Amino acid sequence: MKLMQRTNLSADGINKSFSRPGEHDPLKVLEDIHFEIREGEFVSILGPSGCGKSTFLNILAGFEPADSGHAACCGEHIRDPSPERAVVFQSPVLFPWLNVKDNILYGLKLRKDVRNEAEEIASEYIRAVGLDGFWDYYPSQLSGGMQQRTALARALVLRPKVLLMDEPFAALDAQTRYSMQQLLLGLWENYRHTIVFITHDVEEALLLSDRICIMSKRPGRMIEEIAVPFERPRPLSLTGTQEFSMLKGHILGRLMD
Amino acid sequence: MTVSNWKMDYIGFVLPALIFTAWYLVTLEGGVPAYLIPSPSNLVRVAVDFATGHANLTPYAGTLLVHTLASVQRVAMGFGLAVAVGLPLGFLTGRMSLAKNSLDPTVHLIRIIPGIGWLPIAIVWFGVGENTTLFLISLAAFFPIYVNAAQGASSVPPLLIRAGRMLGANKLMIFTTVIIPASMPSTLAGLRLGLGISWAYLVLGELTGVTCGLGAVMMDARMLGHVEMILVSMIFIGLFGRISDMILVGSFKRLDLLREENKE
Ligand SMILES: Nc1ncnc2c1ncn2[C@@H]1O[C@H](COP(=O)(O)OP(=O)(O)OP(=O)(O)O)[C@@H](O)[C@H]1O
Ligand SMILES: [Mg+2]
Repeated sequence: MKLMQRTNLSADGINKSFSRPGEHDPLKVLEDIHFEIREGEFVSILGPSGCGKSTFLNILAGFEPADSGHAACCGEHIRDPSPERAVVFQSPVLFPWLNVKDNILYGLKLRKDVRNEAEEIASEYIRAVGLDGFWDYYPSQLSGGMQQRTALARALVLRPKVLLMDEPFAALDAQTRYSMQQLLLGLWENYRHTIVFITHDVEEALLLSDRICIMSKRPGRMIEEIAVPFERPRPLSLTGTQEFSMLKGHILGRLMD
Repeated sequence: MTVSNWKMDYIGFVLPALIFTAWYLVTLEGGVPAYLIPSPSNLVRVAVDFATGHANLTPYAGTLLVHTLASVQRVAMGFGLAVAVGLPLGFLTGRMSLAKNSLDPTVHLIRIIPGIGWLPIAIVWFGVGENTTLFLISLAAFFPIYVNAAQGASSVPPLLIRAGRMLGANKLMIFTTVIIPASMPSTLAGLRLGLGISWAYLVLGELTGVTCGLGAVMMDARMLGHVEMILVSMIFIGLFGRISDMILVGSFKRLDLLREENKE
């Protein structure tokens, strides 16, 4: 396997607390988090609700600073958001006044190097996420799944070094979620993005990722790391096998701890 | 859907029709005398004459264009000044706590004083007429423009800003490509209020002593006893106010800045 390449994104000893209204001591959300992802890897972070997954992702994205510890992307300390670390949020967060094409072009237009090919790149990704023929639709005219496809394309056109996804499919119905998962896997196999994928859906994590990091209840710590042993492609029928259920049971157990 | 829309459209005409009928009835022979309420037909004749000057029914025959131009120019200048100051300050207040803390309390203090309360001091400062009118219009239109732009800018969803930043926008780009378009619905509401108020204060300013303008015609006509001209001027002011509002909204739609509001 050619997976074990350079470290793409790393976090060392990250701590984070939030002050809470009406109380003296702050709420400790992240405690001594260590995390690392290599180029081309697909890693899921699993954890109970409120354990600090989004907070951690926000630190990786550069939206929020850590209280202490060090986060770096390709050796560079993370200070600010950057298109190198594109984010797909749980809700699409598209610009409602721009149509699909202009939403996808938004990041490209801000860059000098690709301005000339911007339109070409955008249409390539519009096709890749299956939004052919919808490029002039506005977000309010799209279904939730289509909006999330647009958000995905908007992030991918920037060819980010790492794609940060915060429960991107949690708001979708089961069928749409499944087709989005397949779409993401297809794109990943094609372009070999590096993906940090936050979810609380154990099956989703097992079907998609190379590796799963499990976080404890708040304050969130990394309590276990699992290399997913299943060959790709992983058909849906995999979920019925004994090995799958045992691993799933084990992870669920850790989440309850 | 279209059927019920049609019904709704017709319903809008019922009240005007009733008013019109009542108006017509009270002005019939033996009703309210014409020097209080002129009849509809007389009003229409005077209005047409005001515009074209073909019958010389009043001293104002054929002068509509001149007075309209004078009034429109005052509204445009006063409103323009209010926009030029109110929009930038509003956006700044909405996004920067320094601007908000230093500006907002004072603005809201001044806002408590009714615009009309500025009339005497404005006359002292600027004399009767042109500049007082401009001052009153700009001052009164400033507040809704400022307040709504600030409100719009401060309530842009933080996630939209994060999205813009992770896509590579710097502070300035966030301002021009996220904050301004995202606050458009609120900003436009403020501009429309400001424009409406501009017409109101136009009339106030013109009533106090300019020679040209629709408000001046009203005042002049009252002294000369042309009650029908007072009403005709009122109708034209309402009409132009409405048209200017439609132009404002139309140009925003043109620029496609109103997507959120246009949601279907
Ligand atoms: N800006 C903030 N200010 C104060 N407290 C915050 C802030 N952001 C998050 N928190 C708190 O930190 C804790 C972790 O929040 P976070 O959103 O990271 O959890 P999560 O693991 O993503 O949960 P979920 O699975 O429900 O999305 C929560 O208790 C939350 O109340
Ligand atoms: Mg979360």
